[in-house]
This record gives sequence, structure tokens and C-alpha cells, in this order.
Amino acid sequence: MIEVAGLRKTYGEFAAVVDSTFSVGEGEVFGIVGPNGAGKTTTLKVLSGLVEPTDGDVTVAGFDSDDPEMRRRLGFLPEESPLYEEMTPRSYLRFFADLYDVPGDVADERIESALDRLQLDHRERRLGDMSKGMKRKVAIARSLVNDPDVLVYDEPASGLDPVTTDSVLQFTRELREAGKTVVFSAHNLYHVESVCDRVVVMNEGRIVARGSVDGIRERHGETTYHVFSDVAPSRTDALADLADGEASGLADDEAGESDASPALTVEVGDRFRTAVPTMAAVEAVRDAVTAAGGEVVDIRTREPSLEDVFLDIVGRPMPGRYTAGTGDGSADEETGGQTPNEPEGAE
Amino acid sequence: MIDRLRRTLRVARWETARAGGGVDRRTLLAALALLLVVGGLVGGGLAAGVVGLDVDRDVYRVAVDDGSPYADAVESAPALTAVPVDGASLGTSADLIVRDVRGVPRDDGTIGGTAGGDSTVVGVVVSASDTEKGAAAAAEFREAVEAHNERLMADEANETAAFPIAVTLRYVSRTSGVDGGATLGGGGSTDGTAGDGATGGGGTSDGGTAGGDGSDSTGAVAAGGDGGDGDDGGLAVPSIGGGTFGAATVGSPGSISPPFPFVSLLLAFVFLVPMNFLIQAYGSSILDERTNRRGEPLLVTPLSPVEIVAGKTLPYVALAAAVTTLIALAVGGGPLSVVAVFPVALAFLGATFVGAMFARSFKELTFVTVGVSVLLTTYAFVPAIFTNVTPVALVSPLTLVVFDLQGEAVSAGDVLFATTPMSIGAGLLFALGLGVYREEDMFTQKPVGRKFLDALAVRLAPVGGDAHRGRGAGARGRLRALAPVALLTACAIPFVFVAELMAVALLFALPVTVSIPVLLVTIAFIEEVAKSVHLYAGFERGVFARTDRVAVAVGAASAVGFFLAEKATAVVQAVGLTELYVGRAAFGSVAGVGGLSVPVLVALAFAPLALHGVTTAVTAVGASRGRTRYVLTLALATLLHAAYNFAVVSVHG
Repeated sequence: MIEVAGLRKTYGEFAAVVDSTFSVGEGEVFGIVGPNGAGKTTTLKVLSGLVEPTDGDVTVAGFDSDDPEMRRRLGFLPEESPLYEEMTPRSYLRFFADLYDVPGDVADERIESALDRLQLDHRERRLGDMSKGMKRKVAIARSLVNDPDVLVYDEPASGLDPVTTDSVLQFTRELREAGKTVVFSAHNLYHVESVCDRVVVMNEGRIVARGSVDGIRERHGETTYHVFSDVAPSRTDALADLADGEASGLADDEAGESDASPALTVEVGDRFRTAVPTMAAVEAVRDAVTAAGGEVVDIRTREPSLEDVFLDIVGRPMPGRYTAGTGDGSADEETGGQTPNEPEGAE
Repeated sequence: MIDRLRRTLRVARWETARAGGGVDRRTLLAALALLLVVGGLVGGGLAAGVVGLDVDRDVYRVAVDDGSPYADAVESAPALTAVPVDGASLGTSADLIVRDVRGVPRDDGTIGGTAGGDSTVVGVVVSASDTEKGAAAAAEFREAVEAHNERLMADEANETAAFPIAVTLRYVSRTSGVDGGATLGGGGSTDGTAGDGATGGGGTSDGGTAGGDGSDSTGAVAAGGDGGDGDDGGLAVPSIGGGTFGAATVGSPGSISPPFPFVSLLLAFVFLVPMNFLIQAYGSSILDERTNRRGEPLLVTPLSPVEIVAGKTLPYVALAAAVTTLIALAVGGGPLSVVAVFPVALAFLGATFVGAMFARSFKELTFVTVGVSVLLTTYAFVPAIFTNVTPVALVSPLTLVVFDLQGEAVSAGDVLFATTPMSIGAGLLFALGLGVYREEDMFTQKPVGRKFLDALAVRLAPVGGDAHRGRGAGARGRLRALAPVALLTACAIPFVFVAELMAVALLFALPVTVSIPVLLVTIAFIEEVAKSVHLYAGFERGVFARTDRVAVAVGAASAVGFFLAEKATAVVQAVGLTELYVGRAAFGSVAGVGGLSVPVLVALAFAPLALHGVTTAVTAVGASRGRTRYVLTLALATLLHAAYNFAVVSVHG
């Protein structure tokens, strides 16, 4: 449905996107992730025909990106979506439907359907009097008035409250079920993980990783095993040896606080959690705990989040607000400026 | 095409609804009330005849005998009102007293006394009060008599008799342009004898009542040598004051005293003031699209930027047309008035569109719209002051409106001259703004100057450097890359023309010794900027490689574009502007080249090209090396160009 080959976009001396190549299949939700200035938005704008590429070929639904016919088959949601505030949702959406030559009765049906699915009431209220979340929903509905084959969403849940965010993400999943092709960018990697089939990771204008979320995780992240016991590391030399990294094979960042002290085991409430990367290491911890007279009370598997993968690839944490994905699918967690892999409960 | 029109109309309909919806009910009611009050006042005034363009009606009281042949002339002049001559007193009951001089023609052609025979009107004595109003009344009376005579002659069946052509050949030695400047204005004189001397003046009388010297501007007497005898019904035209009006179309600036421009002032007010409201609304609408990227979703629709802008502009163009038509009807104008003023409205909108595309905030937009308003109002108003005085007046479309209201014939050339620069200029302004009506430019927050450079650079093609080599272009490719440079320069010609006309109009009233040098430098500067500013934009935005070779190439292309497009200014010949000294200095003249050999003529024809080539190459090299160098080379090129202009004017006259 979307073919991008050798895309390059420069602004004077600055290269926003360099040699970007990827394709998106029909009915696929495709994610583009990366830090600020990575080239995500520029790529999406090229796909939407908003920005002319400096070099490379871009086709969407079989049309060049500068072809007006392509625009008929595309719905675009920019990161910021200020609307014409003196209009109502209905009049605003009807205006855009007109521009796409959608017949009046069809337009009305689509508009009502989209607003129903997005659970937007107050359809005759002035847009200027609406909340940011409501406006975002109207903007999403706008992207659907022409019943496009391809939807390009730039940060669709940016700045929304959790309830509205869930609503938007759920709506995106419904679009996939309806057979729409969605290209989706987000700072919040949990959003990308939760809806995207495949992703590309961009950094400084280049694609630095690509594939399915699981595939990338497999390549760039490692599964971690958390062994919970009632034995403190100080009580057993074996655990202390593990803490020195002698059998764990753990990466420094997995170990926790610093390179100098790979704190494998941290205290969590009245238990001690030891993180190890392999089942063999799990067995070693179990043996050490048993030898110390304690017992292993729980073992959990923690899959690497896209945040972990991103950190591994880009070498720096995601800027600003982000939510660390957790292997057990727990709810969003605001972590402030912490690194995404900081152990739970660490001081 | 129909689809495009349909889409444009959809945007227009939405813009109309949106603009209407953006005004709250209270403001709308207040505006409506204001409109009703003003409309009521103007309507009532029009009904009572105290408002409108007849503000000069019955201004001057002229004491004239009902039986006098001058009574009809007074009667037909709106500004004059007749009062009984008996008992009339200057300054109290009358501003002007017209007394017929009667006598009996003798066989020898002299005039005898009135006693003992039937007398006839052989002359007239006009006395005016010794005040400014008296002088103005005398001037108005003189014009009324002239107009009366014109009407009588126009009714004459024998046109040859009515409008005889007299040719007087006078050989004078050729002098340099500037030295002869005082006389090149030609025509008029201030002693009141030359202007109409060929047909009037010097009447014969023995009663000491006729044949005044015309030197007294307030109490002049004129006798109609051949016109005052009433044989053909014509009247002697009193020679009052400067006497330049008859030949004023070539009058020197110092000899012209334009009348107080009641009509022009009123027209500027009634036509141009509403435009200020219009451009505020329009500019806000355009800027609103750019604020917070509000217009971005529109750019993703199948509509092209041209369709979007056309749709957004159409309601304002329609409103401008409607307002212009209504005002034209209200002041008694016809289609000519609408045709004349409509380009002004378009220029207002075009300039506002560009301003709104460049402005970063509503505050900045306010400065832009005020600037646009002042500039265009000046352009429309100042030249119109000289309506009926000199061809300079035709620079302004408002002059056409004045002519329309006066019922004077206007040629197609006049209409084109007055309206084309503004029409083309408006179109080019829209094109300039459209260049940055795209995502990459319209949402950026750059200063106006940088946005202007962006808008110019968008229209250029890469020349030199990697981009050019990457295209694998040969000579044809290089020419293709240089073509936009020449085209952009050519597109600047209407603005150059407008700026130069403006300079002519503003400098017109100054003494020749001041106006000509200033004009020559001003025009050189205008042209050098027009030829080079987009080259600077090309270098600054990285479109052109910063090498001397590229600079010379783009400079040459710009010079060729300017040279070819400059020929379009030949239209000034059509309206006689080059009859004026300043007009000739600004736009040149082909007069006086007869008798030259072909090689010399060719050399003269291509001399401007050489000039433009040299000066533009100089500025292009400067532009390729940064802003400071560009400014310095621009100054140098201006001086070179001004020196050339001065040489041409001195030699060519």
C-alpha cells in the first residue's frame, strides 16, 4: 500500500531524512518511532504529500505522493490539530467532506458514524469551546470523512488524558480491523507497541532498526528473569559472586545502578529480587538461595519493552514524557527522567 | 476545470460562512447600526444635495447681467451661482462681477462708442474681489467660459470652422536637457499673454475697456479678438493668472498650481477607506490559516494551493466589486469608474495576501496592512490631484473616475495605462504569496524579510554546484535553469513601473533642478533592486552556487529579462507621459533619433542591455558573497546606472 525508496529530505544544509526505505502492507498498522528530530514527522508529511521529497520515490495506494488522487485516498492527522474554532464539529467535518467530493448523505452518515465510534457528544457545540481531547477526536473524524485507504497519524494521542488515549488507541485498532492501513508515530512507545504490527526506529534522519515489534525486541532486547527470594545477597557468597557478575552474564544496565556495582539483587518489600538473563542463571540463583537456607518464592519473566530496545539502538533514553512498557502488561507508568530499565523499587 | 471551479467555490462558500461566523452578533449589530447611520446621513445629504461630489456647488457668486452672453456660462457651471449685477458689491454680495463692454463696430474694424447707435457686446470686464476666493472664482469663471465655448463649438455643424488647426513653427537651437529644463516644460507662461495669445488677447477697443494685460490675477480683463463679438456664439476666455491651463499638459512643474483636489480627495475617501476594512478581514483570515498550523489539513486535501487561496480570496474580491460598484453608482459614476477602481481593490487584496503570508503575528499583520493602505492610497490619491492638469494624473486609476464623473472622453490607452500596472501587480503579488503557501514555508516563524527571500527563492531553479551537476544538464539545462531568473526579473517590471510612476508623481511638483537628479538616482536604485534581489535570495537560500561564474551567469540572465520586459513600458508613450520632462527622464523617449545610422541605432537600442548586464553582474557577485557585499555592490551599481541615466538625459534630452 505504501512504498518508500531512498527517501531523502533536506532543508538547506540540514538533512531531515536520509535514505529511508520501507514499505507498508494493506491493513497493516505501521509505527515510526524515534526521538525528537529523528525525521518521523518529516517522513509522515512526505507520505501525506505535504512535503516534497528532495530525492527518492514515494507511492501511496499506487499514486505518487504529489498526485492529488493520492490525497483522496489518504487521511492525515497532524501532531497539532487546531481546528476552525467558530465552527461546530458537524459543520467542520461536512466542510472537509465537501472538499473530498463526498455526497451529502454519505458524508452525514460517515460523520455520525465516526463521532459515534469516537464517543463524541456535543456535536453542535463550537469547536472553540471544546476540550483538547474532544478536538482531537474531531480531528481524527476529519481524517475519515473521505473513507481513506491509508491513514497517517502523527502522535494521535499526544497530550491526551489516559481515558482519551485509550479511546484513541482502541479506535486505531478498530481501523486495522476495518482493513485500513495506518502509519503511526508516537513518542510514547507503549502506544506504538500496543497497536503497531511493524515498526521502524529512526534516529537522526535514518532508519536504524525495522521489523515486527517482537522481532526487534528479539534482536535488540533480552528477556530478563526475576527471581524473588527471602535471602539477602550478604547472606550467601554464591549470590555475592553473582552480584559481581561472575555467572550472570547480565548487561550493566540490567544490573541496575552502575557499572561498578552490578546490583543484581534489590530489596523489594520483604523480598529480594535477583534479575538474571538466562535460565541457567536462574538455576544458579536458586541453588545459591537454597544453599543459604532460603527459598525462591517466585520467578517472573520480563520481556524487553520497546523503550529498552530503543535505548539499546539509539543509545539514549526517549526525551520528555514516556511510559515504560512492562512485560506483564501493567498500566502506564510515569517515570519522569529515569532510565526505562531502572529496577522497580530502586532508590 | 469545472471541478477546480467547483472546489474553489466550495472554499469560497465556507470562507464566507466562516468570516460571517467569526463576528459575534453584538459586533454585527453595532456595525449594522453604524452602517445605517452613515448611510442615512449620506443618503439624506445626497437627497438634500449637500453631500456627495457636489460640495463645490454654488461656491462662487458671480454678478452677471441676465442678458449677457456670459450668463449661460455661469449658469452651466455648478460652482458658480449668478447674482444680479445691479447693486452687486465685490466681497460682500459677489465674488466676481462681469460687465459687458458694448460698442458699435465701425467699418474700419475699430470699435466705436455706444452713443447713437445699436451696440453689441465687444468685450467683457471681469472684476474679482482681492481675496483668495476672488482669485479662485475668477479661475472657475474662466474654466466655465472655456467649457461653454467648447460646448458651442462641439454643436457647430462645420467642425473645420469650429476647431481650426493652427500650426506655428518655431526653430530653436538644441540645448542640453538639464540646461533647457526650464523651457522643456513648455507651453505656459505666467504673464497671462502667451497661453491664449494666438487667439485671444490684445483685443481692440477704444474705450479702454478691453485688452487687458492679464498680469493682474484678480482683476483681469480679456477681450475676444475674434471670439468676443458673438458672431459664432463663442466667448472670449478671460486670461487670468498663470494661463497654463490651456497648455498645461506639458507645463513645467513649477508653473502648475493644482486646484484643491475636492473630487480626488472625496474619491480617495469613499473608494479606498472601505478597502481598509476589507483587507483587515482578509489578512486576518489568511493569517489565521497559518496560526498554529490551522490550515495544514486543507493542504492534505485534493485542493491545490491555488484553489484554496482563490476560494478564500473570492468572497473578498466579490465584496470589493460590490462595494466599488455601489460607491460608483452612489457618486454618479459608471462602468468606467468600476473598471478603474477594481484593480486598486485587487492590489489592496494582493498586497495584503503577501503581507499575511509573511507576517508572523496579527500585530505584524497590522503594520503590514497599514503600510499597504498608506502606499496604495498615496499611489491612487497623489497623482489624481493633477487631474485635468498633466498626464501624470493618469498614473492613478482615480483620475479615470474623475474623468468619468466629468463626462470626459477617455481613451482605451488611458484606461490601460491607469489600470494595467496595478492589475498585473496584484496578480504577481498573489503569485508571490502562493510560492510560500505550502507546508514548508507557511508555518515557519521567520522575519518578513526572510520570508520575502524564501518566496523569491521558491521560484528559482538550482544553478551551479552539486544540484546542477546532479541534473546532468548540458547547455540547454543551464539555460533552463537560468530562465526562471530572467522570468522573475521580468515579473518585477510592473512593480518597477509602479515604483517609478510613484517617484515621478511624488517628485513632479519639485523644481526641475532638484527633481531630475533625485529621480535619476531613485530610478536607478529601483531597477537595480528589481534585478538583483531575487539573485540575493537565490544565493542566500542555497539555490545558486556561490561562485563568480554562477553570479555572472544569473546576473546576465536577469539583465536580459529586465531588458526585454522593460520594453513594455512603451505604453507610457500612449498617454503622453514622455511629453513631461520628468516622464522623459524616467521612461526615455525615442524622439530625436531620426537620421542616425543603423549601427548607431542598434548600439543605442542595446546600450541598456549592456548597462543592465554590467550592473547586475556586479550586484550578483556581491550577492554571492553575503549581505554586506550585496549592499555595497548595489550602491555601486546604482551609481553606475544613475550616471548612465544622467548621460542619456543630457545627450538625448
